[in-house]
Amino acid sequence: MSRKNSKSVTATLTTATCALLGTTATTPVNAQEEDTWEFDTALLYYAEDNDRVQDISFKMLAYRNFVDDRVLSMSLGVDSLTGATPIGAITFDGPQTFTSPSGGQVRTVPANEIPLDGSFLDTRVALAANWQQPLGRLSAFNAGVSASKEYDYLHLGANFKLSRDFNNRNTTASLGLAFSSDELDPVGGAPMPLTPMLDVDDLSNRMGDQSKDIIDIVLGVSQIINRNLVVQLNYSYSSSDGYLNDPYKIVSLVDPVTGDPVPRIPTPGVEGPSHEYIFEGRPGERTKHSVYGQAKYYMNGKVLDASYRFMTDDWGIDSHTVDLRYRWPFGGQSYLEPHFRYYTQAHADFYRTSLDSSQALPLHASADYRLGEFDAFTVGLKYGRKLDSGNEWSARVELYSADGSMPADLLIGNQGGREIYPDTDAIIAQFSYSFGW
Amino acid sequence: MSRPGRATKVSRKNGLFKVTFVAMGSPCELLVDCEREADANALADIVSTEAWRIEDKFSRYLPDNIVHRINNSEGKSTSVDDETANLLDFAAELYEMSERRFDITSGALREVWNFDGSDKIPTGQDVRRILKRVGWEKASWQRPELAIAAGMQIDLGGIAKEYAVDKAAGLAAAETNAACLVNFGGDLVANGAPSGTDGWQVGIDAINRSQGTAQKLIRLKNGGLATSGDARRFLLKDGIRYSHILDPTTGWPVADAPRSITIAADTCTQAGMLATLAMLKGKDAESFLEDQDCQSWCLR
Repeated sequence: MSRKNSKSVTATLTTATCALLGTTATTPVNAQEEDTWEFDTALLYYAEDNDRVQDISFKMLAYRNFVDDRVLSMSLGVDSLTGATPIGAITFDGPQTFTSPSGGQVRTVPANEIPLDGSFLDTRVALAANWQQPLGRLSAFNAGVSASKEYDYLHLGANFKLSRDFNNRNTTASLGLAFSSDELDPVGGAPMPLTPMLDVDDLSNRMGDQSKDIIDIVLGVSQIINRNLVVQLNYSYSSSDGYLNDPYKIVSLVDPVTGDPVPRIPTPGVEGPSHEYIFEGRPGERTKHSVYGQAKYYMNGKVLDASYRFMTDDWGIDSHTVDLRYRWPFGGQSYLEPHFRYYTQAHADFYRTSLDSSQALPLHASADYRLGEFDAFTVGLKYGRKLDSGNEWSARVELYSADGSMPADLLIGNQGGREIYPDTDAIIAQFSYSFGW
Repeated sequence: MSRPGRATKVSRKNGLFKVTFVAMGSPCELLVDCEREADANALADIVSTEAWRIEDKFSRYLPDNIVHRINNSEGKSTSVDDETANLLDFAAELYEMSERRFDITSGALREVWNFDGSDKIPTGQDVRRILKRVGWEKASWQRPELAIAAGMQIDLGGIAKEYAVDKAAGLAAAETNAACLVNFGGDLVANGAPSGTDGWQVGIDAINRSQGTAQKLIRLKNGGLATSGDARRFLLKDGIRYSHILDPTTGWPVADAPRSITIAADTCTQAGMLATLAMLKGKDAESFLEDQDCQSWCLR
């Protein structure tokens, strides 16, 4: 008797099992799949040295896993930021006075100190929701919305993603789209780009609310090479349009010979800037292309995760990121994960340490250190432990260090010997706990 | 309980008695919804004794049991007892049902296939050499007499654990009406739901998400639940598709099998065998399961 043509083996198997177990009537199976909840929570502390930025943030991600592989995820993030950031004016061996962002008062920075904005305190709240569901056996669809709000900033976003498995599920291709519309409402109004910092209460070069729109497209392929190696390749395109300036960043106008800021005398009887400063002016559009490659190599439970990203944009910033993680499990329920990251970027075409006061203003200029040329290293270690309940906690400590380098052609006059670029050192500590039911 | 390390631990958690022990190389657990500790201890004895009895009798790693005698019979016929004969009959049925892919003589292939995480792939010649000693059709099975050629081996490990779960759960049900859950290394049987609930909550690794896998929750009131595959092993969690299941008709691992398959059926043995049969179908595992009258969860 051939059973080759019979698709179902259930009846034969039932008979054979009854013969084996010597039972005839067992209670029929009663199994029901249930929806589940899962939560990922994290408390993060980030602190830059020299009393610059400090961030304490709490994040919570909740998943509702429905029967049939549909997943609703919701996230909440709360950030509390304090501290100060460099405003772009160069360091100088005399005191410098600046009008505050609101235009209502002045602040004086002592000689030889990197000019920072006044200490700020800001709270950011971010919310996001995402829906994921299979489309047939091989495809999946994702859609989400996001919003975040801080004192002077509102972000609204939407994203979509479609993925499909090929090649006996050894290959997964995906297409993602994201749109975001952000609104800026800076203290005192957004300054007109490349206009001077004015005396107290002179808001004649301030504009109303500003906005920017961003479109992102991501094409991705992940491929299983063999039982130890999985690789991922992504191409991303990002286009921003609108007010792309940081409204609180300025550029010093300097003497072409000494390289020192040009002194300025406020209107009599009114307080105002001690030197000539202009608000930064960036292009109103930015297009980025990036390529990302990742390889995960599995060796008996250990995992080496290596990735590289190249980004280039029409502002002239090219960046390279190398990220390495090694997950080393031990003792059955614990793991250690060292982390190393290296980042390097070239400066934007319009990045200037300062502007030569004897020359006409360029079309665009910014002294924002984030648009300058710098290298950054991150080294860290994470320890994670799975509990008997299936819940998991982890703790991570990382050190971050960014060092700028200043190309000689950007230095004016005798600026060569001074510390122009504000280097950053920071510590990051995080505690995470994941649980579910 | 003569072997070292054979002890049961009884504790009380959330109003249930929890018994743990190790058998057949797996962590084993019995959960009982009863009032008296003495009842829980009695069940712990019954269930663990049965698990160890089956391990002692059918483990291919232990000397002086029936499997050892068959594997060292040098081609001579061995007369087996009723229980062993029932298992051999069952294995013969599975061999036919699976179109010769479920084969208790395929253990010899492990001499060349080493799934320890290394990348040692045997040559075609190595595999063909071993295949000469593989194949249930080469055995002579005339109940109660089994003869296999010298160099051939049988291994009942693919059936014994699920069989032990059903046997132990059956003995527990004969002893008490209290609801209990017998769980040997993730293969389990429920006898009724604990009071105040509509079943035992069982987590299986089954959701494919970009960050990895997450658990699905099954509420099991009665019947068996068994999983085939290595979903619980980390190495396989993030997208490795090579199966650790060998196809004795080719001597190579089954290509494109799901990472794990979980089945719910009236008995643990049925569930486990269906999961293994589906695994052996490789990329057609899901369509095979659609043709079966059972609840299944496949993780790719």
